[in-house]
Amino acid sequence: MSGDSDRIKSWEKLLEAGLKATEHNQDEDAKMYPLRKQFRPAAPNIAKASLKRDFEVGLVYYVGDDVEQDRALCGLERKPPTAHTFKEALERKRKILEESGIMKELGFDKKKGYFKY
Amino acid sequence: MGTKVSSGSTGTKYGYFLGCVMPAKMPWAEKATFLVSKHLGLDFDYMKETVCCVRPGVWKAINPDWWLTLTSQNLATAEKQNIVIVDSCNGCYISHWECLQELKEDPEKLEMVNRNLEKAGLKVKLSTDVKHFLQVLYEDVGIEKIKANVVKPLNIRIMRHIGCHARKHDERFPMYFDEIMRATGATIVDTPYDKTCCGLLLYFADPKTSIFERIGVKMQTAKELDIDAYALICSGCYDQFERAVKVYKDEKGIAFETPIVHFSELLALSFGYKPEDFGMMYCRPIPPTKLIQKLKEGK
Repeated sequence: MSGDSDRIKSWEKLLEAGLKATEHNQDEDAKMYPLRKQFRPAAPNIAKASLKRDFEVGLVYYVGDDVEQDRALCGLERKPPTAHTFKEALERKRKILEESGIMKELGFDKKKGYFKY
Repeated sequence: MGTKVSSGSTGTKYGYFLGCVMPAKMPWAEKATFLVSKHLGLDFDYMKETVCCVRPGVWKAINPDWWLTLTSQNLATAEKQNIVIVDSCNGCYISHWECLQELKEDPEKLEMVNRNLEKAGLKVKLSTDVKHFLQVLYEDVGIEKIKANVVKPLNIRIMRHIGCHARKHDERFPMYFDEIMRATGATIVDTPYDKTCCGLLLYFADPKTSIFERIGVKMQTAKELDIDAYALICSGCYDQFERAVKVYKDEKGIAFETPIVHFSELLALSFGYKPEDFGMMYCRPIPPTKLIQKLKEGK
């Protein structure tokens, strides 16, 4: 069995979110500077949205009010004992990302919240 | 509540690593896992202060040293908490397990990782261990004790999805999965797609193949075979199942009706817990209404 449509909307949205989290869209830049050589950024566009969430909360998914409510319905604490609760774990992760040079290599500006390329 | 038949500790302090998907999308599985573990007398608690495992499919592809560094944060945290890490998500398991093995085998990598962790006040001393939840149940608790705790055998037909990374150690974990599921009384229906990948790691690169030629064929088969539930253990795979349910519904108008359940839920039910004890009916893309009804009627 294979898909009839050419696109998958949720995938397109993910790619769009990745491009939105990118300061310089190389395809757009190429229209203005056609001789500029394009390169492959460290983080692929399709993965950028989830990487951004990871840098913001320490995990790939947010836990908001709706999730907290679901957790309570299942008999759990509203917030899990992950970096969602323990902000110091997120701070340690950010420190590792910064000090080891990973953030710089990825070109992620944590203040602006997006990737340079 | 389940009827406790036997208990006893293995002497190990287990720290359950939730990962990213389970706390956000599978609270019923999280609750059921704790019910089962406590019921079996394990010294089982959350591993606290965790961050993403980090996804090996993404980070190893970007830079293997970065993956080692970031994954090591969880290893160092586990060592501080003096626990053995327990993963039920295969992706988290493979990330932690392979990272630990690599650091044990390569002193230069260990030094590199500790140089990076030091800045956050952490250090990996290689004093922790990483186990899959299947291992804890089968190797540490034992199948006989699990069978002894089954007070309400489940008269249901399930399809299995064990996941690729659970095949890291050949057929050991898949065998554990099958034996434990059979201990609950469930009948496992074999299909040609049992070993087919869910397609999660393929999704970024080739979404159509990932959805329609991996997870889709499996769910279509479940629909055709009229089984009661699709049983899995991996949260990463669950994420892909959930995504596929939505894609099929939104883009093809196809609604799947076979509920996707976590292995721990079936164990909990067989131990005598009720669906309400772990919120089985809440927040899932395919409500397990028929399955719950069937279990209540004891058909």
